[in-house]
Amino acid sequence: MRIPRRYWRNLDWPLILSVLALTVIGLVVIYSASYTQLVTAGMSPLHYVRSQVVAFSIGLAIAIIIVSIDYRAWKRWTRLIYLGTMALLTAVLVLGQTVFGSQRWVRLGPMNLQPSELAKVALVLALAQVFEDEHNAQNPKSFMGALVLVLLPVVLILQQPDLGTAAIYVGLFFTMWYVGNAKTKHIIIAGGVLVAGTLGAITVSLRGWLSIIKPYQLTRILVFLDPYSDRNGAGWNIIQSMIAIGSGGFLGKGVLNGTQSSLHFLPANHTDFVFSVIAEEFGFLGSVIVLTLFVIVIWRGLRIAAIAKDTYGTLLATGATSVFFFHLVINVGMTLGFMPITGLPLPFITAGGSIMLTSMIAVAIILNVGLRRSKIMF
Amino acid sequence: MASISETLIQRRILFLLLVMLLVTGLLVIRLGYLQIWQNEFYQAKALEQRIQRIPVEGLRGTIYDRNGVPLALSVAARTVYAIPAEVEDAQATAQALAGLLDLEEDFLLQRLTKNSATEWLKKKISEEDARKITDLNLPGIGVVPTSVRIYPYGSIAPQVLGFVGIDNQGLEGLELFYDDFLRGTPGQTVFERDAHGRALEHGVRGYLPGQRGGDLVLTLDIFLQRIAEQEVRRATQETGSRLGLIVITDPQSGEILANAIYPSFDIEEFGKYPVANRKNIAVTDTYEPGSTFKAVTAAIAVNEGVASLSTGFFDPGYIRVSGWNVRCWNRGGHGSQTFAQTMQNSCNPFYAKLALDLGAQRFYDGLTTFNLGFKTGIDFPGEMGGTLRAPSPDIPLVTWANIGFGQGLTVTPIQLIAGFGAIANGGIYSVPHYVKEMVTEEGRFPPDIPEQRQIITGEAAEITAYVLRSAVEIGSGKRAEVPGYDVAGKTGTAQLVEHGRYSHSKMVTSFAGFAPKDDPKMAALLVLWEPQGAFYGGIIASPVFARLAEKVLPYLGVERKTQTAKTSREAAVPNVGNLTVEQATAQLQQAKFHVEVVGPGTRIIGQVPAPEARVDEGSLVYIYTDIDDNQVATDQPNPYGA
Repeated sequence: MRIPRRYWRNLDWPLILSVLALTVIGLVVIYSASYTQLVTAGMSPLHYVRSQVVAFSIGLAIAIIIVSIDYRAWKRWTRLIYLGTMALLTAVLVLGQTVFGSQRWVRLGPMNLQPSELAKVALVLALAQVFEDEHNAQNPKSFMGALVLVLLPVVLILQQPDLGTAAIYVGLFFTMWYVGNAKTKHIIIAGGVLVAGTLGAITVSLRGWLSIIKPYQLTRILVFLDPYSDRNGAGWNIIQSMIAIGSGGFLGKGVLNGTQSSLHFLPANHTDFVFSVIAEEFGFLGSVIVLTLFVIVIWRGLRIAAIAKDTYGTLLATGATSVFFFHLVINVGMTLGFMPITGLPLPFITAGGSIMLTSMIAVAIILNVGLRRSKIMF
Repeated sequence: MASISETLIQRRILFLLLVMLLVTGLLVIRLGYLQIWQNEFYQAKALEQRIQRIPVEGLRGTIYDRNGVPLALSVAARTVYAIPAEVEDAQATAQALAGLLDLEEDFLLQRLTKNSATEWLKKKISEEDARKITDLNLPGIGVVPTSVRIYPYGSIAPQVLGFVGIDNQGLEGLELFYDDFLRGTPGQTVFERDAHGRALEHGVRGYLPGQRGGDLVLTLDIFLQRIAEQEVRRATQETGSRLGLIVITDPQSGEILANAIYPSFDIEEFGKYPVANRKNIAVTDTYEPGSTFKAVTAAIAVNEGVASLSTGFFDPGYIRVSGWNVRCWNRGGHGSQTFAQTMQNSCNPFYAKLALDLGAQRFYDGLTTFNLGFKTGIDFPGEMGGTLRAPSPDIPLVTWANIGFGQGLTVTPIQLIAGFGAIANGGIYSVPHYVKEMVTEEGRFPPDIPEQRQIITGEAAEITAYVLRSAVEIGSGKRAEVPGYDVAGKTGTAQLVEHGRYSHSKMVTSFAGFAPKDDPKMAALLVLWEPQGAFYGGIIASPVFARLAEKVLPYLGVERKTQTAKTSREAAVPNVGNLTVEQATAQLQQAKFHVEVVGPGTRIIGQVPAPEARVDEGSLVYIYTDIDDNQVATDQPNPYGA
């Protein structure tokens, strides 16, 4: 499989360099955050860094393969990929391991896989195929079909339960529907129904009429509103995260010097709360650099979406880009006390194989669309 | 299949980009707010939760008697604590400590595995035991300085001193009243810890020693206090009384020299005694004063010009007050009497008449200036006022008539002795007090005691003192007479009020007086509750005052007016100051005295009676020793040091 030489010129180097920079920053932060924990446990301080490098390498290999295949050729595999990931999502509920009260992982050979991450890619592929036709976004029958495509994984993921990931699916759906020629009026109505439905579910659960939202999730919501209502319990994480960020100051405390992180005040410091470690050790300056790199990724992704050769490519790039955006907002927003606590990773930086693979695949999709943007005239 | 128009797509993607940039911008603003604007706040929070503080108490101040003899002092001890998160092997640690701390292993195990930052394991262990524990080098087990209260001369005036609790906090008495002053400023041991409570090896470590509390010099005199304690015990036991009290004051200053109560309690084991034994009833309880109160009525009446030495009175055995017969204790009446004779005879109708002649308002005002029925402002917790109601149409005249001879009102013993003090001291009232000086590093300060004030004229006080002198010389109190000293005073007997009625069998009998009349050095009040058999104050209370004065006045250096012929042989007490206990005992025994050693030390610092005083051969001589210096360690070493 040879890629024509002119394609290479179309590779989006700012996007690639930003992703590499974020990954390298991620390795440094993972090392710093997990150092005391690993050393205390008598393990190598590079334990998580090594896994992360391995995951990145695998992701890189997969990405190269994906970039090599013209995205238009994927269409016929979409149905299989979608059904396959749905099967995995079902399997995780049956076979999965429970970690921190949620069943999110399934063992696949040597590694633990989080199917809800990979399913995002499947959903992007499926929705792009639906909304490719400009009528489908406004046609009730096709719209219902698209809705079923997103609701199926959302319901499965809520069973795990994983509210944050489910929220990303919903955001993904709205973004792709919007770009896929939805009527603005319909978007507003659907958004209204969603907000009303969420508030209704919270109210009903709070009053104890119906347990739609589980008690621990309600606690998280209440604690989000006032962390100090349970400072040593549910509010601990968010309070410690904000102390870590706030005490970081402008330039930060330096690598391995974050007291919040290295003295175990900050939980999940190399995974969910990795951004708090960045803010503590690299300060406001480092945090803004990381956010800027993400902005470059989003900007280049949406740019590719705008100049894609066809609507299908536009939708693929839009979907893949919004995955990054929603992860960024929900994860960083959580560390800053803007969002309730959900166990959502920060792409490229959080230690973890599934999110690394998903992120690399999403990048590959965007690059693929960008690579083949020039209209080919035969 | 139709494609969406390119312009629509580009517009919508641009809109998406703007929304995403805006949201990311909000994150940046939030970051800036937390990291730059609130940086100091969060830095402080981060530090605060890493810093663990273990309080270290300041050494409690010493309580001295007026001669500088320590009655209560604190010596260094140690308190053992655990940081459960740092304990490595709770089972083994509990096992190792159980023997040393004399605690149950299960109890220790439960403490060592508790989910808390620090746990006290045992307070107040000796420094020696503490060293054994630090030598074990058990992770998570530490020792901080604390102190224990010791009483080198035993339980002296326990109801006045009061006592401290497990945390050296004053619980009762002067220990409570002056707690803030005695307590000192606590210091702390500080270290930096991680979220699990483990101390950081290279973290912040600090030790701020506590500041020693101030010392109190009491007005009490340990020698007089011991005399009073012996006499009150003897009087209470001999009369079969339920309760006895002796208060001795210096009428010229209001200083309380002795304050003894029987039955008493052991200050070091206060928990084993009934609460009633621990009360300083001189201040915290009231009683009906009875005839001793006539002295006050007389003083007010003379001061107001209602009575004088030339006033005469005929007592038919009663006096009619608005239809009531107020009877004299002597049913037949005392007949025609002078003012002085009414006091000698303790004639109730005359004092009822004085009250009536004064009128309710003037009498009430006079009692108010004497603080009778009101708190004196003494430096002691829980002072009671008493019952004295302001004049009103609701209060019948007969009530005031009764108050005239000490019935129908209650006062505290301390109020009454303060009133007698004013009569003795030319009409100058001194608020009674227990503390002479408060000593800190900055110097010595008098306590906050209201100033002395003239409440009756010197002449009125002198006339009253003369009348009281005659009551002892030839009246009902003549058993209080001491050869060579002019004792003035008044006996009193009142029925005990039980359930709002006067009891027929239970009495309160008392004697209040001062000596010598012309230059009083001591005022004293003896009260016996519920004596058995003979209960008249003149018979059982007066002799106690005589015994007290016999010992107290020579000690205070008051010369006898005339030497009376002695039947037994007298001898001068040898001076045994600065000798060892053995030498002193030998010398005194050689001079044919009995000896009682008081105190734990080896060297003599005082004796009663004073050196060269002439007393009967075979009398008991008390010798007071110093205290063992080794016990009094006042430094507070750094627990991280040696």
